[in-house]
Amino acid sequence: MTAAVVMFVFGVVTALASLTLPIGTVRAPGSGLFPLALGILLAVLSLAQGVSVYRAQATKARTSTGAPVPPPAKPLSEETRRVLLFAAAVAVAVALLPVIGYGFTILVLMVALLRILGIARWPVVGAVSTATAIACWFVFVRILAIPLPAGLPGF
Amino acid sequence: MLESLQYLLGGFAVAMTAQNLLYCFAGALVGTLVGVLPGLGPIAGIALLIPATFGLNPTSALIMLAGIYYGAMYGGSTTSILMNVPGETASVMTCVEGHKMAQQGRAGPALSIAALGSFIAGTIATFGLVLIARPLADAALAFGPPEFAALMIFAFVVLSNVTGGTLLKSLIMVVVGLILGTMGMDPVAGNERFSFDSAYLLGGIEFVAVAIGVFGIGEVLSNVAEPPEQLEQTVVVPRFRDLYPTMTDLKRSMVAILRGTGIGFITGLVPGPAPVIATYASYMVERRYAKYPDEFGHGAIEGVAGPEAANNAAAQSAYIPLFVIGVPFGPVPAILLGALLIHGVTPGPLLITESPQLFWAVVASMYIGNFILLLLNLPFVPLFASMLLIPKRVLLPLIMAFCVTGMFSVNNSVLDIWMMLVFGAIGYVLRGWAYEGAPLLLGLVLGPKLEVAFRQSLMISQGDFSIFLTRPVSSGLLLATAAFLLLPVFKAGWRRLR
Repeated sequence: MTAAVVMFVFGVVTALASLTLPIGTVRAPGSGLFPLALGILLAVLSLAQGVSVYRAQATKARTSTGAPVPPPAKPLSEETRRVLLFAAAVAVAVALLPVIGYGFTILVLMVALLRILGIARWPVVGAVSTATAIACWFVFVRILAIPLPAGLPGF
Repeated sequence: MLESLQYLLGGFAVAMTAQNLLYCFAGALVGTLVGVLPGLGPIAGIALLIPATFGLNPTSALIMLAGIYYGAMYGGSTTSILMNVPGETASVMTCVEGHKMAQQGRAGPALSIAALGSFIAGTIATFGLVLIARPLADAALAFGPPEFAALMIFAFVVLSNVTGGTLLKSLIMVVVGLILGTMGMDPVAGNERFSFDSAYLLGGIEFVAVAIGVFGIGEVLSNVAEPPEQLEQTVVVPRFRDLYPTMTDLKRSMVAILRGTGIGFITGLVPGPAPVIATYASYMVERRYAKYPDEFGHGAIEGVAGPEAANNAAAQSAYIPLFVIGVPFGPVPAILLGALLIHGVTPGPLLITESPQLFWAVVASMYIGNFILLLLNLPFVPLFASMLLIPKRVLLPLIMAFCVTGMFSVNNSVLDIWMMLVFGAIGYVLRGWAYEGAPLLLGLVLGPKLEVAFRQSLMISQGDFSIFLTRPVSSGLLLATAAFLLLPVFKAGWRRLR
């Protein structure tokens, strides 16, 4: 249901934002006509999706016996925590990229991600991260000459 | 026909230059690796490699990118057979029988039949492409804006009908993709649209960021979310001498390979994720007509040969709508369309006549690529399989590092990386909601084309919508679209009546 609501809101916002653009006429459509039509279409489709989910839930509730039991509030699962940490580490590394340069960014990123994924032994983490950072820097910066940010260290 | 063959010979002359052979080999090799390694499918693989083609001429670039697609189809079988983990979605059906064969100690014959089936199917399908490309291009020359608009709507609806999720969810994703495609510059009037006064957004949403984000980062995050024990993997690497199939294996597989080729070739010509549907259809056909039905589910070699042939044939014939009509029918051809546009090549009916060298060189490279893949896959399967020994805990951070680097190199922009991360998060959430990413990508890539065709049609007809219904091709396509949309409704109604 959350998905249908999010899509519905996106559709409505698109349609409203399109109204600020020239709509034109059907003979000479303006910039806003196509997104307006798409916004309305998305709102209609997600409304239909929401109704279908609601009906499915209602049918399920009718056929199940006994009073509905609300699901217990769960603490953040280990998997969700790992995904959030993983994503946060990548975001921090990208934010650091212009400052510490490409080579160090890959090093920091690899160390963080390997640790988050449960590689506990520091020599392994250090060796894999350093090797990856050197290999990436050599291939992408030296051989392919991609102008990756050098940052303060200069590489 | 004779003219096509002459052009094809010319194509071979271009494709067999040392430089193009090297790029064909590189594409096939990278494709095999993309197929072998779980966590990176052909869509993200091609998107990541697009920046590496910037310095090349369009022909060499396309030869390499095309190689990645069919290479991934070859490589995907390795993980399916050895680990019961499909390297990419088109290899799901290979898991069923292939892994059972591996459990019985017959991983070698399963791998070699998969490679052989892929080679035969790829070669026959490429020949089919040569046969029908020209006549189809001539027919497509009669297409005007209403026909193109109707064809794209048809493609969206059929793709939505056959992708994993429900029709409604897939259609929602198509529309979301179309809306994202409207951001930036209006393709007809040139007005600024939904760019929020940002110079970055004025150029529109970077489709490579969406592709790597939704398919690459989304896949990586889904893998990270798996329980820790699934992040560990064990694999038995077969020895080279164990790879040879017996004569009985070959005899039993040959008919399945030919059937799979036919199914795959036809599936590639209709909208949808062709290789995925082709493998499923081929498996079902093999099981239905099996000489040894009891073996199905317990390691029947036909269940490996048919689907593996089908996914390769479909991967080859999926180029036909892209090259000849200019409308990609699936997510991988859609990303190839994006790559072509970056290189200044507009695919469509005129491509064969205006850039015959590019078209026929790419077709010729497919023959060569299939041969290279056979050479790569048969003797080096143990080597590729040993790559699976890299633990996922190491592989996922490596893929992440490549995604960050690859994304930056598209436009040398850190903002692109942020955009990719945003779409990675969106892709991960969408997976959780069981919404497919493929329709979104197709909508995004085709959105501007659809808008131009739609607006031009209305301008031609002075605002009369009947232009879509009075022209035979567009009305036929729209009728077929309506049938696809209404069929599930009628089916449900009929079931209720009974």
